Amino acid sequence: MGFLNERLPLTEFSAHLRKPLPKHINLLFSLGSLAMFLLLLQAATGAFLALYYSPSPEHAHNAVTYISEEVPFGSFVRGLHHWGASAMVVIVFVHLLRVVIYSSYKAPRELTWIVGVLLLLVVLGFGFTGYLLPWDEKAYWATVVGVEIASTAPILGVFVAKVLRGGSEIGAVTLARFYAVHTIWLPWLAFGLVGVHLFFVRYYGSSGTPQNTPEEMKTGKPFYPDQVFEDVVGMLILFIVLAAVALFIPVPLEDVADPTNANYDPRPEWYFLFLFQLLKYFQGPLEIVGTFVIPTVGIVLLLFLPFLDKSERAVLWKRPVALTVTTVCVAGIVGLTLLGASSPKLETADATIVQEVPQPTEDIQKTATLDTETAEVEKEEEVFDFQLTEEEIEGTEEEEEVFDFQLTEEELQ
Amino acid sequence: MEKGSRRSFLVFSINWATALIGGVLSLAAGIPLIGFAISPAFKKGESKWVDLGLADRLKNSRFKKVDYTFTAKDGWVKATKKRSVYVTDAGNGQWSVFSRTCSHLGCLVRWDDQKESFLCPCHGAVFDQNGIVVAGPPPRPLQKLQTKVEAGILYVKDF
Ligand code: HEM
Ligand code: FES
Repeated sequence: MGFLNERLPLTEFSAHLRKPLPKHINLLFSLGSLAMFLLLLQAATGAFLALYYSPSPEHAHNAVTYISEEVPFGSFVRGLHHWGASAMVVIVFVHLLRVVIYSSYKAPRELTWIVGVLLLLVVLGFGFTGYLLPWDEKAYWATVVGVEIASTAPILGVFVAKVLRGGSEIGAVTLARFYAVHTIWLPWLAFGLVGVHLFFVRYYGSSGTPQNTPEEMKTGKPFYPDQVFEDVVGMLILFIVLAAVALFIPVPLEDVADPTNANYDPRPEWYFLFLFQLLKYFQGPLEIVGTFVIPTVGIVLLLFLPFLDKSERAVLWKRPVALTVTTVCVAGIVGLTLLGASSPKLETADATIVQEVPQPTEDIQKTATLDTETAEVEKEEEVFDFQLTEEEIEGTEEEEEVFDFQLTEEELQ
Repeated sequence: MEKGSRRSFLVFSINWATALIGGVLSLAAGIPLIGFAISPAFKKGESKWVDLGLADRLKNSRFKKVDYTFTAKDGWVKATKKRSVYVTDAGNGQWSVFSRTCSHLGCLVRWDDQKESFLCPCHGAVFDQNGIVVAGPPPRPLQKLQTKVEAGILYVKDF
């Protein structure tokens, strides 16, 4: 220690860590630490999942099956990552609520709040890019719908959708870029933002509950070791719960994405169900209200909340307007989620008839090249939908792809 | 000129020069990187005729789900893509082929024989047998694909 002490300001650092917190603080003040723990856990489990994963339409689903079924501890690691993602959304949401309840977003902590909202978006971005990766039905259709939602935005919508997909259709390019964003871009962004978030948190000091008098702001327990210990106990409990869930509830993996399926009812991951449900209410020309206006206005209002609400700090129950708005928003999100979750499956008469009287000729299967494919070949095609034959691989080189702003060799000459 | 103001002019120039270099570096690296990332959005989509099989085999069919596959370039792979459509023989060599892609947000609609309509499993859209929106959120009718029959084979223009 002496060696490091001579070279680094460890004494100052440790004194800083031991600074007392506000006197009135409670368990809800550990939620930020729990969110940070989950982010680290996601980064760790994700880094290990990447050892076996392969981001291409012909391999992704098999790789995920392999992880779940063959790699030792695979289903556990995948379980931690999958359920950890859900836990992350819950914890970050409740952390936000606690900041609202104790009006901790008010001056001087506006910047902490704004970075927090960005982190919320990053967390949702992790979710959206993450669940395409298994390339199962849910993955595929959630992405189809998600990208279509983006395309309804005015002016740039269609362009943005094409950038997201890497083309006009979801395919190999989409999966590669979602993977890159999920495993490289967003983690860097998340850790950078968390760094800034925590810097602000320490710089302004914890806000404590509003019942603290100015004198009480520095008379609570020290951050280290007392608060750190509480946070760590919280992390342990959270981990035990997650591990139990990961052990006992297998992570769903549906059949490989099939763009001809007539029996699949697409549903997003539970934390996007509110949006799924919301979209049903805005019909025809009003479509854009659900896909663009409400989400955008919601995010902007959330970002600027500290500047819209400049009232005195007080606990939520003593702020009638804030209480009403918060209750309506939370009830709205929870209500829409429940409605979305219980929206009935579509029973088409057509599908039922096919089930009752199996008629293989009902659906005519046709390939552009072969008229006489056997059932076996077709089945193989379903699984390895995007696999290449050798001829096709050779063929790829000949074909030239021309981007609009790129010159072909001929043009150069 | 006084010494102080000379110094402050120097600082001013250094600040601007630094900002300029920073700007040039960002542009020099940023433009190609952004172009690299967004280039697929500029690619022209091509629609082509795909073969649905002998028109005779589909004779008298009414909202029959026909699956077809075709190969197309998907980034660096030549992929076998699967699609399905609903084919109706309108008589007199006329065909009516509907895309199954819901005009709302892209889920696959299904024809329901009893309700005589296309139903979308996502946000509850209902289209009538002409593809017109009867209920639910879609802002447009269901897409009808161009068709042609050549040498007895029914082709549709894949979007
Ligand atoms: C990855 C997501 C996030 C992480 C890792 C994180 C982490 C933390 C941590 C460790 C703290 C200090 C302990 C505490 O007060 O709980 C904190 C405080 C805070 N967070 Fe977050 N946070 C995240 C998301 C958010 C979100 C979504 C918001 C709100 C939109 C937010 C707003 C705040 C504010 C305003 C504080 C200061 C509270 C105070 O000083 O009393 N954070 N955050
Ligand atoms: S995608 Fe068909 S109703 Fe929304």
